[in-house]
Amino acid sequence: MKNKIIMFWAIVILAIISIVIIKVKPIPLGLDLVGGSRIVLEAQTTANIPTIDNDTMDGLKAAIENRVNALGVSETMVQRMGERRLLVEIPNVADPKYAREIIGETAELDFKKPIIENGNVVGFESSGLSGEDLKKAEVGTDAAGKWLISLQFNLNGAEKFAKLTREFLHYPIAIYFNGENISQPVVQAEITGGNAQITGEFTHDEAKKVVDFLNAGALPVPAEIIEENTVGPTLGADSLHKSKIAGFIGIAAVMLFMLIWYRVPGLIANIALIIYSLLVFAIFKAVPVTLTLAGIAGFILSIGMAVDANILIFERTKEELKSGRTLFTAINSGFDRAFTSIFDSNMSTIIICVILYFLGSNIVKGFALTLAIGVMLSMFSAITVTKNLMHLIFGTGQLKYPAMFGLKESDINQAYEAAETEREKAKFGVLD
Amino acid sequence: MSYSVLDTKKIIDVIKYRWLWLAISFILLLPGVIAMLWSVKTYPTHTPLLVGIDFTGGTILQYSVNKDISTNEIGKIRIDLSNNNIENPVIQILKPATSENDSIKNIISIKTKFSKDGQNETIDEVTKVISSDYPDAQLVQVNSVGPLLGKQLFVNSLIAISLALLAIVIYLTLRFHFEFAVVACLALFHDVLFVVGVFSLFGLFYGTTIDSLFITAILTVLGYSVNNTIVVFDRVRENLKFYSKKATYDEIVNASVNQTLARSINTSLTTLLTLGALYFFGGVTTKDFVLVMILGVIIGTYSSIFFANTLIALWNDRAQAKKAKA
Repeated sequence: MKNKIIMFWAIVILAIISIVIIKVKPIPLGLDLVGGSRIVLEAQTTANIPTIDNDTMDGLKAAIENRVNALGVSETMVQRMGERRLLVEIPNVADPKYAREIIGETAELDFKKPIIENGNVVGFESSGLSGEDLKKAEVGTDAAGKWLISLQFNLNGAEKFAKLTREFLHYPIAIYFNGENISQPVVQAEITGGNAQITGEFTHDEAKKVVDFLNAGALPVPAEIIEENTVGPTLGADSLHKSKIAGFIGIAAVMLFMLIWYRVPGLIANIALIIYSLLVFAIFKAVPVTLTLAGIAGFILSIGMAVDANILIFERTKEELKSGRTLFTAINSGFDRAFTSIFDSNMSTIIICVILYFLGSNIVKGFALTLAIGVMLSMFSAITVTKNLMHLIFGTGQLKYPAMFGLKESDINQAYEAAETEREKAKFGVLD
Repeated sequence: MSYSVLDTKKIIDVIKYRWLWLAISFILLLPGVIAMLWSVKTYPTHTPLLVGIDFTGGTILQYSVNKDISTNEIGKIRIDLSNNNIENPVIQILKPATSENDSIKNIISIKTKFSKDGQNETIDEVTKVISSDYPDAQLVQVNSVGPLLGKQLFVNSLIAISLALLAIVIYLTLRFHFEFAVVACLALFHDVLFVVGVFSLFGLFYGTTIDSLFITAILTVLGYSVNNTIVVFDRVRENLKFYSKKATYDEIVNASVNQTLARSINTSLTTLLTLGALYFFGGVTTKDFVLVMILGVIIGTYSSIFFANTLIALWNDRAQAKKAKA
């Protein structure tokens, strides 16, 4: 009995720790619940770069990270995914279109020099001065209040720019961004300080976008969006709200069922279920598991399955009581007999979760993880919490009030004889 | 007074009516199988199910709208979109609202093909068309998948399901016997075939498409179904240990099913209670997922009580007959 009381307090302490963790740590919510963009990019080979190696991917990842950070939202994520892919997650993004633009474009800045024939400009060709020669870019305004982009070159770039302006004094230079001519100023004087300004008909947002691109750097190779999932914040909030309601209704319905069908043991199972829910959420927060819609579904499903262990045990205990056993031996053998089926059935679910976790997509991974944690903890809660409370509440005597188990007086001694080995008899505490 | 396992109150006689149970399974599975064959023959993708953009590639745009939309209006949206260079738009109305106070009343879902370069242009075009008829429309979800990625997902899903089945056969062979493993897998196959068949029918009649969540749901059904079957087999295993000399194999199977009957039904009920809550009160995104699970739990319970045990008894009969011959 002493062990049982120690165990009881251990469970109470565990529950308190769980409550503290739940109170203290916030739970990270998935993009489908807070709203945001999840984009998969694939690096594309070009004529110059026919194969994609690790260095290229690292360069691409760094450039994308810079751009995503320029959005100024917290908890963005850029992750390698396989050999040629990047997974980009941007939560709370107000304008998914902007996110798509900012990571999809190569952002090549190219200063083109004029091709001059007989004193006339007949076309433009690359001058060798590009975005790589930039130190930084800024949005500014000119004297008339029009938006412009001011550029500051690095040493190498300043030298190239000075040479370009010297060579083509009084001729136009074309500035191309992503293959589009955004400005075509005429050189008025040789510029040696390494500073340049791009004027044109820009709005502030357009200028800002070009500046963000230039500061983040060009992508080493073009990247193509091959998968995108963007959820607006209203839909996300709606899903979260509905999942919470569904969760509460689901749990309440299960608890009511257990109470009506199994009476006092049902009440114990409900206490075990509450402790189970606390433990699951504490572990979710401690790991931490990002909660997605599929993850919540996995958790709610695991509640239905968590009571399964209790149901198996109670049905078995009832049978043992029907065969005329004392409470103590009936509870012990009920647990022991039910254990093999609980173990084998839960193991098979865990095996499937492992396979899902390693083979599934990201959504599937979240589901598998929450379900696996749920199944493991449900075994723990049934075997320790329920058993402990059953022994503490019912003690060791004969069953005086069969109604406590939802049984009738006439049910007792009506079941088949209990068959068991000598070893099991000793284990359950059967005296005959 | 002493009772033996043979005196277990028989609510269901699985052995006596074994052919009836097998016939019921056959009737349950037949429409789905026909729908699957018909689908393979008629769909351009030649798949037994109507597959969504996760598998074929494509773009789905969803707009929230604060009013009800009639069939005529859907037709108008379709024509307007086609006139604006949106290829083969598929339009569906999703109803996520559970109460009048909900912020989102209706969701218009528009499916079109995946465009590599013109993604933003496509979205702008569709948004323009929708906004002209529904000024309060808001783009709430964009989902697009490239065609190559879809194929990979399909292959990965098949690998995942095959591996799961293999792992379960190995585990059950180790913990039980080979025949239990084979029968459990046949029961799994039975359950999956039923659920896939029902969704094939939904695809034909309501245009329900399946996505990667469907595969997850099917795998969860696998886990749940084997869970149920194992509980009954565990009882057969235990009873065989104590009564194999006193009772016939058939009697033991019958008694085991009836002893675990209350548990089988109650566990399914509690799971169905939570799934029902998710279906009726949960988000619109997981509705189909939950429906797969509900169908899976119901058929899984049926197969663990009737189908699996009928098969295990039949298997044993044949083994006995062979022995007698030899």
